[in-house]
Amino acid sequence: MAKIIAVHSFRGGTGKSNITANLASLVALAGHRVGIIDTDIQSPGIHVIFGFNQDNLKYALNDYLWGNCKIEDAAYDVTRAAIPEPNGDRPRLFLIPSSVKTGEIARVLCDGYDVGLLNDGIQSVSRALSLDYLFIDTHPGVNEETLLSIAICDRFMLIMRPDNQDFQGTAVTVELAHRLEVQEILLIVNKVPQGMEAGMLQGQIESTYKAEVVGMLPLNAEMASLASSALFSVRYGDHPITQTLKGIARRIMT
Amino acid sequence: MSTDGTNYLDALVTKLKSAAAPFRDTLNELHAKYKDVREGAVADYIPELAKADPNAFGISVMSVDGQVVEVGDHQQLFSLQSISKPFVFGLALEDHGREHVLSKVSVEPTGEAFNSIVLDETTNRPFNPLVNAGAIATADLVEGKNFSERISRMLAMFSRYFGRTLYVDNSIFMSERATGHRNRAIGHLMLNFGMIKDRVEETLELYFQQCSLLVNCHDLAVLGATLANGGVNPITGQRAIKAEYVKDVLSIMASCGMYDYAGEWAFRVGLPAKSGVGGGIVAVVPGKFGIGIYSPPLDAKGNSVRGVLACRELSERFGLHVFEAGHDGPSLEDEFRPRRG
Repeated sequence: MAKIIAVHSFRGGTGKSNITANLASLVALAGHRVGIIDTDIQSPGIHVIFGFNQDNLKYALNDYLWGNCKIEDAAYDVTRAAIPEPNGDRPRLFLIPSSVKTGEIARVLCDGYDVGLLNDGIQSVSRALSLDYLFIDTHPGVNEETLLSIAICDRFMLIMRPDNQDFQGTAVTVELAHRLEVQEILLIVNKVPQGMEAGMLQGQIESTYKAEVVGMLPLNAEMASLASSALFSVRYGDHPITQTLKGIARRIMT
Repeated sequence: MSTDGTNYLDALVTKLKSAAAPFRDTLNELHAKYKDVREGAVADYIPELAKADPNAFGISVMSVDGQVVEVGDHQQLFSLQSISKPFVFGLALEDHGREHVLSKVSVEPTGEAFNSIVLDETTNRPFNPLVNAGAIATADLVEGKNFSERISRMLAMFSRYFGRTLYVDNSIFMSERATGHRNRAIGHLMLNFGMIKDRVEETLELYFQQCSLLVNCHDLAVLGATLANGGVNPITGQRAIKAEYVKDVLSIMASCGMYDYAGEWAFRVGLPAKSGVGGGIVAVVPGKFGIGIYSPPLDAKGNSVRGVLACRELSERFGLHVFEAGHDGPSLEDEFRPRRG
């Protein structure tokens, strides 16, 4: 059975999708079959990082939720974004994108959907693609997709910036995660400004949320100028950020 | 609802735990396995029942803490029919106490059909409250200073169980009433023996109304979960029946709930249950779960074919039989909790 990793942040702009895409690729590169599902139906985006063009997209997660297709029909092999010439069953990287068509986003808001179906889909795509890991990229804030992914995940990763708004919001998410009986919360602090005392910050955050900080990532110019056009860990293989991400990936796989 | 939102938070968490339950997979699989069963026939003694879609099939399972997992046509409305009987029996018990009610209706299973015109020869009592005669006798016991008060007390009782306002399907009610000659005969026979009060038409109206209440399969799961939960609706927290009478309702369902299949049902499934000719079945796992199933085609004994098959499999898979002592497979409680690796 696939290990489910839910990645979330209470507020937008924390770098959640970029971190998710990089961690999923690094876990795949370690020799696994990995899926990423973009449950951020209201503001999808992670497909961009994989250079995935939605113009010729036949099915998206939306189609599955509305009963137009099986969820595996909405899964696309994006291994090449991380490895130039993949061969064999492993590593493999699959993406289940959400639609960026305005009408389809509007339909979600108008009609809603049965959130239980999302769980059915996550379970069946894990089986159909024989996944070892499935990453769920969630919508920021509290909504049903997010809470469902918290409720079904094996590991819950919470990304925050060293910002007072993030501190408050993260407390809300942590409380909900406890209510949903999550066993393990892993915190990532991103966009830490130069000069901020990282060790003290980490201790403060760990004692506030009683959860482990698995990585502190600096506010970084190369990451920003990449503008989600590619996987950072592939483009900058030896960068200290990539090394930190590799450490987090190893932590996920333990 | 509390002003600090605690109840909303509880409701949200319960909803998400339901959506996350591994039992969804199991229930989808069970539904797929039996949806193409083509045995049985839709009840057609009144035209309104004959209109039901024979392919309709829904299952809802609710835990006593309010988690619910459902599949298929769980929102399709249908008439409650005989499923109403044990609950009106419960109301009669609350109104009169156990001894008085038992002086009017016995609690013996009968191998006779549900609509048989048979009374106990020495006491003139109907055999049990779940055959039509016994149900009419218990409907007669519903208190109220006039007819409309009796009707509203009965509807209020059902609303407490279901946690919502209920409506009578008027066309079903009208045809039950227009064609209810046999039930009318049963009523008059009991009046003749002094077993019911001289208000037969009124009591029959009440009886036809309880049979014509519109519910869905989700409602049946709530009904079952309320009994499983000692008489308290798990969603609203409202008590539907005094705790002391819960066991009376459950034991009558266990011994007589499935018409003249009750014996084999008790043996194979081993859960208190009640079926109706509308295609519904409610089953109760005491202390744990309520199960609601809807599928209109009935077998020769008047029970939903797919409903019986699904209940049998659920009981066998999860060791739900109330006398189960050696089950070593997964429990249904486990399937309601997220599975984490």
